[in-house]
Amino acid sequence: MTLIEPRKHGDASDGSLGRHVARLDGRRKITGAATYALEQPVENLVHAVLVQSTIASGRVVSVDKAAAESSPGVLMVLTPDNVFNMMVASDWNGNRVDKVPYLPLPAEVNYNGQAVAAVIAETFEQAREAARLIKVQYEETPATTTIAEAGTGKVTGPMTVEWGDAEAAFEAADITIEAEYRTPREYHVPIEPHGLIASWQDDQLTIWEPSQWTHGMARTYAEWFEIPFEHVRIISPFIGGGFGSKGGAYFYGAVAALAARELGRPVKLAVTRSQGFTAYGGRASTRQTLKLGASADGVLQAVIHRGANETSTYAEFHESTGAATPIMYAVNNFSSQQSLIKVNTVTPGALRAPGKNPSAYGIECAIDELSYAVGIDPLEIRLRNYADHDYQSGKPWSTRKLREALMTGAERFGWSKRSAAPRSMRDGRTLIGWGIGCGTFPNLTNSSEAMIRILSDGSVEVESAGIDMGQGTYTIVAQTAADALGVGVEQVDVKLGDSLSAGAPVAGGSMLAGSITGAVHKAAQAAREELIGLALNEQNSPFATSGANTLVIENGRIKTSREDGPSMSIGELMAMLGRESLEVKRNTLPEGTTPEEKQKAWTHMAKVRGPTAGDFSIHSWGAHFIEVRVDEDFGTVRVSRIVSAFDCGRLYNPKLAESQLRGGIIMGIGQALLEEGLVDPRNGRVVNNNLGDYLVPTNADVPLIEILSVGEPDFEASVLGGKGVGEVGIVGVAPAIANAVFHATGKRVRDLPITLEKLL
Amino acid sequence: MTQTIPLTLDINGTPHALAVEPRVTLLDALREQLHLTGTKKGCDQGQCGACTVLVDGRRVLSCLTLAVQAEGCEIATIEGIAGENGELHPVQAAFLEHDAFQCGYCTPGQILSAVACIREGHAGSDTEIREYMSGNLCRCGAYNTIVDAVRQAAEAAR
Amino acid sequence: MKDFTYSRAASLEDAGLRAKEAGVLLMAGGTTLLDLAKCGVTEPDAVIDIGRLAGLADIRLSDDGLHIGTLARMSDVADHQGVKSAFPAIAQSLSLAASPQLRNMATIGGNLLQRTRCAYFRDPGAFPACNKRQPGSGCSALGGVTRNHAVLGTSPHCIASYPGDLAAALIALDAVVELQDRKIPIANFFLEPGDTPHIETVLQPGEIVTGLFIPASPAAHCSTYLKVRDRASYEFAAASAAVALDLHEDGRTIRDLRVALGGVATTPWRARSVEQALIGKTLDESNVAQASRLATEGAVPHGDNHYKIDLVPRVVTRAILTLGGLA
Repeated sequence: MTLIEPRKHGDASDGSLGRHVARLDGRRKITGAATYALEQPVENLVHAVLVQSTIASGRVVSVDKAAAESSPGVLMVLTPDNVFNMMVASDWNGNRVDKVPYLPLPAEVNYNGQAVAAVIAETFEQAREAARLIKVQYEETPATTTIAEAGTGKVTGPMTVEWGDAEAAFEAADITIEAEYRTPREYHVPIEPHGLIASWQDDQLTIWEPSQWTHGMARTYAEWFEIPFEHVRIISPFIGGGFGSKGGAYFYGAVAALAARELGRPVKLAVTRSQGFTAYGGRASTRQTLKLGASADGVLQAVIHRGANETSTYAEFHESTGAATPIMYAVNNFSSQQSLIKVNTVTPGALRAPGKNPSAYGIECAIDELSYAVGIDPLEIRLRNYADHDYQSGKPWSTRKLREALMTGAERFGWSKRSAAPRSMRDGRTLIGWGIGCGTFPNLTNSSEAMIRILSDGSVEVESAGIDMGQGTYTIVAQTAADALGVGVEQVDVKLGDSLSAGAPVAGGSMLAGSITGAVHKAAQAAREELIGLALNEQNSPFATSGANTLVIENGRIKTSREDGPSMSIGELMAMLGRESLEVKRNTLPEGTTPEEKQKAWTHMAKVRGPTAGDFSIHSWGAHFIEVRVDEDFGTVRVSRIVSAFDCGRLYNPKLAESQLRGGIIMGIGQALLEEGLVDPRNGRVVNNNLGDYLVPTNADVPLIEILSVGEPDFEASVLGGKGVGEVGIVGVAPAIANAVFHATGKRVRDLPITLEKLL
Repeated sequence: MTQTIPLTLDINGTPHALAVEPRVTLLDALREQLHLTGTKKGCDQGQCGACTVLVDGRRVLSCLTLAVQAEGCEIATIEGIAGENGELHPVQAAFLEHDAFQCGYCTPGQILSAVACIREGHAGSDTEIREYMSGNLCRCGAYNTIVDAVRQAAEAAR
Repeated sequence: MKDFTYSRAASLEDAGLRAKEAGVLLMAGGTTLLDLAKCGVTEPDAVIDIGRLAGLADIRLSDDGLHIGTLARMSDVADHQGVKSAFPAIAQSLSLAASPQLRNMATIGGNLLQRTRCAYFRDPGAFPACNKRQPGSGCSALGGVTRNHAVLGTSPHCIASYPGDLAAALIALDAVVELQDRKIPIANFFLEPGDTPHIETVLQPGEIVTGLFIPASPAAHCSTYLKVRDRASYEFAAASAAVALDLHEDGRTIRDLRVALGGVATTPWRARSVEQALIGKTLDESNVAQASRLATEGAVPHGDNHYKIDLVPRVVTRAILTLGGLA
């Protein structure tokens, strides 16, 4: 059911932006014509297969590769003994230690499932079988395999947030609750597995690899191989799902590129589904303790939050469980700390709404617990503690329609009909529960660049290195360009996902849409001005003598503002001008940005501006209303109804935004009820490293999800008024489900996922 | 011991000659040898449905089918289900209309599964569609609109 | 996956002869064989495809019962109108298994002979010890992640659960497994692991399951398969029950009852003590709940799977009461 009404622009025009335009790349996807990275037809291709460690900690002492090397079709076996002249690349923020050799297959083993060898053969089947014949000798050292056995970890000072006197206010509060919440290791599992094709032409490297950030990945490859950035080309027109996992180049990319260089042949390396559980990091497991103090009427007096997440033994990743905690509610006394706990795992990574997601799970469950402790409705307690400004930064919100989301969602869901007591709603042996969870995600911004090309037939091409992994970039870019130029969407062709193209930031942190549309809008406006200028100034132009000092472009036709004046199509203008094409490139960087800084803007994260960088605090918001049905004998939980209302500012394309929000919610269903990396404590192996055992929701697990939009254009957030959509959908879903399960059963499950045995 | 078997596969009504080792799956034969890459590899172990194709009209997983097993059968893939003039199959058209996909990677499998689901008579209600489309995982979470698309195509087929 | 030779069996006799050779595996639908070959669990030198043998895919209902040819596909049986009405537990157990695609591929014979989903069995690279794969090598599951492992029929050498759904329905309905030259009551077909977990059935080298026979009975006609799992679809059972019930003319006294369990035991598991406790008794919630507790007599938990011991009686109770119109 589509509940989002098309909205008009923030400005006076009423073009295609804001309309339910069908996905422009859709036809290619439904006919099989969309070509993903590993599907590129490349001549003379050979195949690489990785071999992963089976111990959690230690050293590779030796690799017996004789059997593999003599196996049919095998061309090369790479092991830790192979040292190539590669250098460590810089991190996301551009920090680089100079001249440190990079070892994609190091001898030191830090986790079970770390790659220790690779086999390259003529065919995939030959490489796969030879990889199985590799025998690795290890020297094992003691390992810490789970967060449970790893102690309290180390507090990360810069993540501490304090104001007021939280301890004193908590002690003095009428009503207090304290609870610990845990989330397990979770995985992205995009249906397209990771991998790449690497091909060298002299010292130029072409990489076909699914990429959420072509510029960032090209920079990494260039630094690894110490070649100029322009000598690397990442091509990624279609990405089969990323969710944060395809934002960077990983070791296996280096392995494939190395092998391709050494063999002088293009190499395809496909990470298998099982290998994908440790070839890159999923979401870190977390735990957090929340202490809330409130007055007898439910007004928050203190929030004390102590969170921790696992990280690897060799790198630090922060899954900041305190990310949403400080901004959800009005509170004058607040304290939050975050610790890191080292275990033998692959370094965790960013998975849909990193930080905000587990953080909202904690605070949104805790506020629900408080509502029962106080004895007021979970909706009412949220409204009673509504934050009129950002208590953390002290800044006003740019826009925060969370109250509207709560009210509109409650109305649509029928929340007022809820029976307050746990276990008070049932249908035979099925217990029914209703729960609320709120979500948020900060508005991150970065600059972008866009190239507009007007062709001789009047059609328009837009180019950007930005990508579309299903969020709808192709479509909203075309809509943006069409509106600014005054042409129909069908006249615009969009080319994305090529690192040699105009610069773009990562498709992550919900920042690409706001960034890329700003640049496209600017470039298209400039192109429009240029077309109008040419039309007015060309000697033979009918406009030259029309007396008009400016022109308009509507529906692809250039004309005077007077209805009876001359007009011509853009194609006719191009013919009159004798031009094959007209190119306009613009970026949204500040005037006077140096070329070096410009390059950094696309290839590093250092230029990303946070939600409170300016005068306002800018975030997307959401409220989920969820009904669960719990079999009281079996403990099985099924989600039966969802209404979610969002403030994501202006929606550029509600049809696609709705899809993306639903997708986040469905991932939240998985997180709440199904998803958990199961680690064998003896050797750190992820034993459910496949889609039959690491369960993600199927179609049958998902009810009708109604999406409501309560947002309005927020021009503090972006040029065209949108706030982020991709991340916020999942935030708040797991607590809404957990709260609904409590309402249904009277049982508070504080560790995800809520599997049946926890309710027996 | 390596044995290479010459065989002809009938794919979308066209015979394709190839030579495969017995261990080569239908999925890898399609993608790596015949460059029919519309059929997707999601897990390679029968757990996601992305590789769904029709063999003699029935939906099966090409990752757990040997290429040699499919000899003499009619194989239908996403590349072959639209009309000869490029007219979309009703299921394809419904997927586009309802935005029943995002990244598009599970989509060919979903569409072939949906074609079969309707033909099997398992699209009688939303509940039935959900259950009988559960062999195709979609991590982007397009399930609501997949149900919308299948329902619409099923109604049109009646 | 090692390469292998592939050939199609000319006849059942031919297949039986070839299957006696070392390194030869028979393949029908191929779903188990290819899956396990990719995992490195099976390494055949030669694969004999029996999938195209004629006359082995029939589904035949008679007054005596139901005959299913070994090559009938799961989906064909699941969707068969006669099976649905006369043997509902059979049809339901199949339609709740795997996915529509897998049900179109997998054969009934292959389904019966599917292997365990034990993560340790399926990952020989990381866990060399597995008595089922390599007799005498040990059991990696003991002390590991055991949420899905068996609580019934285990031994110190193996706790892997039998994952199938159909077999629970078959064992409840006293099916007979038909081989080339003999017939075996299904109760005698599967072997508990004991100290030989690698031997899972009584099949001798060269013996091939050619079909199944399920005798007709009033209870079979009134049967059901109840499967409980975390995911709504496309998942193996956390616990399941196949139950068949026949009441006396009074509509409340139990004349015949069959109870079998899936997902909780090393083999398809008949819970005869539940049956014996209830036959002749009145069908009511209290009697059924009390008797259902007997289903897990002798159960031994390992680590994370204790919940199955709590869950099983509830599943059995619900299934019986559902058939009796009381749930």
